[in-house]
Amino acid sequence: MDGFEVHPPFTAEERAEKRKLIVRDFVALFTLFVITVVIGVLTYFLFSSFARHRDVLARRWRANGERLLRDGRPDQAIEALRSALQYAPGQRNIEIELAMALAADNRDLEATAYFNALLETEPGNGLIHLQLARLAAKQGNATLAEGHYQRALDGTWGRDGYLRRLSVRLELSGYLISRKDYVRAQTELRTASDNALNMPQKQIEIAGIMERAQDPSDALEIYRVQMRKKGAPLEAYEGAGRTAYGLGRIELARQALERAVNRPGFAKQSAAVQQDVRQVLSDSQRILELYPDPDLSVRARAKRIANAVKIARTRLTGCFASANASGEMANLQEQWQQIPAKLSLRMLERDPQLEQTTMSLVYDTEEQTAQVCGAPTGDDALLLKIAQAPLAVQEQ
Amino acid sequence: MISSNLRSLFGNGDIGQPVRAQEVSKLAPTRDERLFLVLSIFIGVISGLLVVSFQVAIDWIKILTLGSAPHAGQYRLLFVPAIAGLLVAALVLWFFPAARGSGVNQTKAAFYIYNGYISLRTVIGKFITSALALGGGHSLGPEDPSLQIGAGVASIIARKLGLSRQKLRVFAPIGAAAGLAAAFNAPISAILFVIEEVIGQWSASVLGSIVLAAISSVVVERRFMGAEPRFRIPAVTVRDSRELFAYAILGVIGGLIAFVFSQALGYLRPKMRALPRWTHYCQPAIAGLMVGVIGFIGFPQVMGVGYGIMDQAMHGQFEWKFLFALAIFKLVATTLSFSSGTPGGMFAPTMFIGAMLGAGVGSFEKIFFPHLTGTVGAYALVGMGVLFAGFLRAPLTSVFMVLELSGNYSIILPVILANTIAYLIGRTLQPVPIFEVFTHQDGLDLPSLEEQREETPLHIEDALQPLNVPVVRGEDTIATVAQTIAEARVSAFLIQMPDSSWYAMTLDELTAAGAAVTPGTPVERAVKQDRVPILFPDLPLDSTLPYFPRWPLLPVLNRASRGTLEGIITLNGVLKRYQSV
Repeated sequence: MDGFEVHPPFTAEERAEKRKLIVRDFVALFTLFVITVVIGVLTYFLFSSFARHRDVLARRWRANGERLLRDGRPDQAIEALRSALQYAPGQRNIEIELAMALAADNRDLEATAYFNALLETEPGNGLIHLQLARLAAKQGNATLAEGHYQRALDGTWGRDGYLRRLSVRLELSGYLISRKDYVRAQTELRTASDNALNMPQKQIEIAGIMERAQDPSDALEIYRVQMRKKGAPLEAYEGAGRTAYGLGRIELARQALERAVNRPGFAKQSAAVQQDVRQVLSDSQRILELYPDPDLSVRARAKRIANAVKIARTRLTGCFASANASGEMANLQEQWQQIPAKLSLRMLERDPQLEQTTMSLVYDTEEQTAQVCGAPTGDDALLLKIAQAPLAVQEQ
Repeated sequence: MISSNLRSLFGNGDIGQPVRAQEVSKLAPTRDERLFLVLSIFIGVISGLLVVSFQVAIDWIKILTLGSAPHAGQYRLLFVPAIAGLLVAALVLWFFPAARGSGVNQTKAAFYIYNGYISLRTVIGKFITSALALGGGHSLGPEDPSLQIGAGVASIIARKLGLSRQKLRVFAPIGAAAGLAAAFNAPISAILFVIEEVIGQWSASVLGSIVLAAISSVVVERRFMGAEPRFRIPAVTVRDSRELFAYAILGVIGGLIAFVFSQALGYLRPKMRALPRWTHYCQPAIAGLMVGVIGFIGFPQVMGVGYGIMDQAMHGQFEWKFLFALAIFKLVATTLSFSSGTPGGMFAPTMFIGAMLGAGVGSFEKIFFPHLTGTVGAYALVGMGVLFAGFLRAPLTSVFMVLELSGNYSIILPVILANTIAYLIGRTLQPVPIFEVFTHQDGLDLPSLEEQREETPLHIEDALQPLNVPVVRGEDTIATVAQTIAEARVSAFLIQMPDSSWYAMTLDELTAAGAAVTPGTPVERAVKQDRVPILFPDLPLDSTLPYFPRWPLLPVLNRASRGTLEGIITLNGVLKRYQSV
């Protein structure tokens, strides 16, 4: 209520003094304002200059850390990345790299604690979940690892999130395979394949993992789809040949492998790989020579059956002669006795039932002798291969 | 030039110009109050800017001298703190003697002894010498110097504007709050600390200006440094009540370490100050060398301020053995640096030690009691508060600091538990708080809030006497009253007026009234216009003293029923009560 207080009236001199005081205060405050601005500008330049220097240091130490991490020196990378973080505190990428360096240096507890701390501030970060999944997998905690893998798939990623999620799914599949959980791995791989329809190289990679996940059929389908594309990669032909051969689809394997060995890139592969491919191709060709294809002429088929009988009998005789084999093979020998000892081509040509019975006995012989006398070699091995899926040999 | 401009306008602004102050008071009685608030903002802004520059200076000196990533085994760790110590000692002894020490006690002394006076030289000296010491690796903190810089800025501005002596005095704590708030990026903690440690009492008159200045400085600081808190605080939750046991243990450890820290400083500081003067030139250098040795042998984390290390500890980057080692070495390094007279504060080292202890306990728990859910960060955070409460003996600040830093109130239970334990242990083992120990060592005797906490103020009820004097009504005639008093044989009595107010009359007054009016006159017409004050039993006893020259006794009323008397108090009774304390 100052405004209502009654003051004694000022004299003229006092009024002048009061005006002077107001002007003085105004000038003083203005001067203070100017001083504040000057200090503010100086601080701004000082701070800006230091901030630039700090950025340079942060970048330099980060680059050092990344290089050391790549060079397999995680202990030194940790120090470098910690230094980088000093000059760029809270920078997420550096923090994640530091945690990765800790993990690479086998400081799992520290790395886990660090990643967990990062996760608390960004619970949906896919990359952090992926790293935690790897650490949990490393520590043998399957439940935790799978949980983090799943959250990594559901989590946020940068611009290339689509590719990163695909990569996580493939890693998860690999982890499931390592735990022999093939069914779940196959499911993840099928999803991954659907997500990578327009990515030939990824499809080849997925097919490769499918082979490891004991799913050659799906792998073969992927290889075949890729083979049909213009400029299909060599891996598609080789993969198709390999999986088709594994499935007993020998004709398909032969076709794919013949095209593979004629590809320009084939010779650039390592000698071991070339040798493997050629061996499978050679085996395929020989199987097709041994196989009594129903499409062959009656005579030609009879000749192949007769040849197979000869191979199987020799194998049986050799196996029967080996110790302790007689008891287990008695039944088989009994069946052979029902086949005419002098089986002529004419008999086979005339009697399709005999053809079938004979080939069935050949396959049984190869299978049982393989169990009793060990893995066969040469044509016996190839007949055994046919025995596993006789109807698939010519399947396209 | 600007400074001379101000001087030309106001002379030297010396408070020793009572005539001028009186003139100003007459011409513009509300001038000081109005300027007070405006200047609080200016003080906040300028303090914020200076603290930002101060922190940049520390960091830059550190990079230039110790390198951008100091690590164990570097020879520069040995000689840089020593050379910095030598330089700082020379500057302090030759040019800036008032820059020595932390700055908290100096500001407090300015408030209580020197009418808020802190010289420009002290501000400049504090800035330069502290930046050199901290940048050079001495184990001290920037908060206390920032507090003194802010207080100095406030003092200079208030002096230049020629404010009254009373206002000039309270400007120092306003600037102190601004400086500390900017250094800490935590305005509430800064305000509380200034009230607890600098002013030493709750003062509503300056609270508004302190808040204004602190907020202004924090706004400026955040404009440059970013709005993020000083530490990246991980999520803090207490899901299992058994964890409180671990926090209690942390409180016990913190209290004991606070005691050890206080004892070490309390012992070494006077010993080193008592050494011949020439040794003061080399004491900071020797302390620097020893701190450097600690860094060289494998603990470079203890050098300098250590905010980054606290942050790393909070995020579980160190194992528990290393954390405890860091706490111990930091204690040693800080004791050496501070006792040598190197300018620098105790806040950051205290927080550092607390954070390491807390993170150590948290990491230990994680390994040996993995079913408990507390994060290492939560323990580190509580640990900071624990040391603050136990060592600096600022319990309110310690609690609010943790809450402000974490922004999470779910941690309040462990914080209060651990801090209280540490505070009680610290107070039991070391009754005199560390800042008070320093003031006594410096030959000063300054008040503290803890002293006030220890006091048990007396209330009216403590001196209350039963009603042993007659009570008459205002309508009673003087003759009736005179007869009643004569029968009671008392020298004073109470009159209850028709409007429920009270009057205490002496026998002499009654006699004089009886001579002036007829005996049939009601006594209410014979009394003076004033009435006894309304007093209640819970009011402070000292508040009654001003009334005794006027009244022979004072009635004490019941708050629920004003007409009901609880008793009376007399000057003699009050004095006897004080004498019996």
